[in-house]
Amino acid sequence: MSTIPLQEFLRRATEKCADLTHRATIQRNIDSYDVAVAKGKQRFSDWEAARSRCSEIKAEAIAHLDRYLEQFEGKVKERGGHVFWAETAEDARQYIAGLAQSRGVKTIVKSKSMVTEEIHLSGALEKQGAAVWETDLGEYIVQLRNEPPYHIVTPAMHLTRVQIAQTFREKIPSEMNGEEPPQLVAAARRKLRKAFFSAEMGISGANFLVADAGMVAISTNEGNGRLTTTLPRIHVAITGIEKIIPRLSDLATLWPVLATAGTGQPITTYSTLIGGPRQPGETDGPEEFHVVLLDNGRSQVLASREHREMLKCIRCGACLNVCPVYRQIGGHAYGTTYQGPIGSVLTPNLKPSAGFEHLAFASSLCSACGSACPVRINLPHQLLLNRRDAMAKTGQSGSRTMFRLFRWTAMSSVRFRVMGWLSRKGISTAKALGIAGSKLDPMRPWTQYRNGPEVPTQTFREWWRTHGRQ
Amino acid sequence: MAGSNPQRERILARVRAATADNVPTTAPAASKAPIFAEIPDPLERFLRECAANLTEVICTRDSMESAAACDRVLQSLPPGELFFQDTPVFRSWASHVDSARTVRWSSGGPPSESTQATFTLAHGFVAQTGSILSSSLCGGRGASIVAPCHVVFGTTEQVVADIDAALQIANHDLLSASYVGLISGSSRTADIEKILVQGAHGPLRVVVILQAAS
Repeated sequence: MSTIPLQEFLRRATEKCADLTHRATIQRNIDSYDVAVAKGKQRFSDWEAARSRCSEIKAEAIAHLDRYLEQFEGKVKERGGHVFWAETAEDARQYIAGLAQSRGVKTIVKSKSMVTEEIHLSGALEKQGAAVWETDLGEYIVQLRNEPPYHIVTPAMHLTRVQIAQTFREKIPSEMNGEEPPQLVAAARRKLRKAFFSAEMGISGANFLVADAGMVAISTNEGNGRLTTTLPRIHVAITGIEKIIPRLSDLATLWPVLATAGTGQPITTYSTLIGGPRQPGETDGPEEFHVVLLDNGRSQVLASREHREMLKCIRCGACLNVCPVYRQIGGHAYGTTYQGPIGSVLTPNLKPSAGFEHLAFASSLCSACGSACPVRINLPHQLLLNRRDAMAKTGQSGSRTMFRLFRWTAMSSVRFRVMGWLSRKGISTAKALGIAGSKLDPMRPWTQYRNGPEVPTQTFREWWRTHGRQ
Repeated sequence: MAGSNPQRERILARVRAATADNVPTTAPAASKAPIFAEIPDPLERFLRECAANLTEVICTRDSMESAAACDRVLQSLPPGELFFQDTPVFRSWASHVDSARTVRWSSGGPPSESTQATFTLAHGFVAQTGSILSSSLCGGRGASIVAPCHVVFGTTEQVVADIDAALQIANHDLLSASYVGLISGSSRTADIEKILVQGAHGPLRVVVILQAAS
């Protein structure tokens, strides 16, 4: 395991756990999510059947990924769109940056896209002089604060209205007309409206790529996705190759399930399908439409029979919201684009050499993530697989020796008894010498946050001898 | 495009090699249980869902009442430009518009930044979610998103039970359009402390004038 991401993770997690304001903010937001989702699920006559259906749709898409991607590509091209296949983040950045440069693009509006975060697109575009505006309100807030998104669905979940008002006062004072949420939203609307109407390029992600229709499905509540894909003369949609689904009719299940798992809504306000640039006879819409299909490690994940189910993820964020670890440490502690359980299983597989293996251990293995996943990804199992892979990769000899020793000890009652006696004596001596809990204590990584075990006055065997037969 | 993008072949080759084992990603659970409850009265459900998602619905009995409803909506709007999908019904309604207002028609281009309200038709209405099925054929792509108020006219015959039925309409009639969408209420956000605020970037107000089937 690379130590830098691990140490950073531990530092940030420790800091966030001790930040009571942060924890209260997250708790309040997630409590509100819990209530909405519980209510949303009641709209289904069988939520579990809906999960199974979505899981089957995504599994089918992944099993025939090549066929569906080619079908999608063909349909987009029929309507005059362009499809670019990008093997790496660099390839995708170069294509989009090149496009912007060759078309003289100065202003770009973006609707929320985790893939653009994954490939660090905004920085690359800004480097060549373009002004890039995040238009989802949460994304806009974190952009103003120069922070990465905190959550897949709600990027500014960690901030209070007071903090957001302070950011707006500093960054967009001329738009401010009050500090309550409606006034803050209005300030962002005023500011971003100018960007929408002056942008030459709009960049969006995609929730799904519909193979048989050749359309990109985008869900937003604010309408920023609609404006981003309508007003600029160039629209670029970028997404991972795993976002494909076979049929338009699949959205009849996927749209409500995504909305319910993500926010508790019956359906997202704008459930949008974009199939190409402005068509002959249409009033408006972009002159150019480009779809960038990003691999960036996904085909590698697909090649692993054990891990490929991760590609079913629809990025609803449900596993983050239910994760007891995420609820304490928040999204920034992970140091990854995708946070929480899905980020912990996905990141080390998408980026095997980036040193994020430790994230598999940032879990209590309570299985809440697996139960919440609307496409039935077995996240607890994936976390265990990643733990196994991490151990194999790093070969932590200390842990291995300990477990071998334990196995050898546990296989003989005599050895088990002797080891128990030695452990009791060891703990008592360490306490007597004042080593327990100090830097010399070999158990310090455990005991610095927890109380060490009290040494019992009587062993279980001794207790059994006197009480067992009664 | 394929020829100019060798990465396409490499990605597809990797995908084919990866899926050649034909191992299903999940065991087929194949639950055939109905996912959504049946909707016995689509119109009643549509009205209920619209009330929940904050879409205003004005039910009318005939074209006279619809025109009167449109007048009331027009009078409630702040001064400024209006945009209409260029259809006979709106041509007739627009004759009542105050002459101080600028009126734009979809045949003359998209709505401008300062448009106060847009008036369009719809391809259908979805009872399950209180949604409007729209497309770029309904006055263009911007007609349903640019202005603070979006007014939609349709008839009760256009109400379909669920999203599946709406997608069937899209599949049969709308695949030539560059945009198809379901609009389920006004633009909104809850990005600040999960407090719902209407009118984030799109219309603050969505009105459906729903005329009884003749």
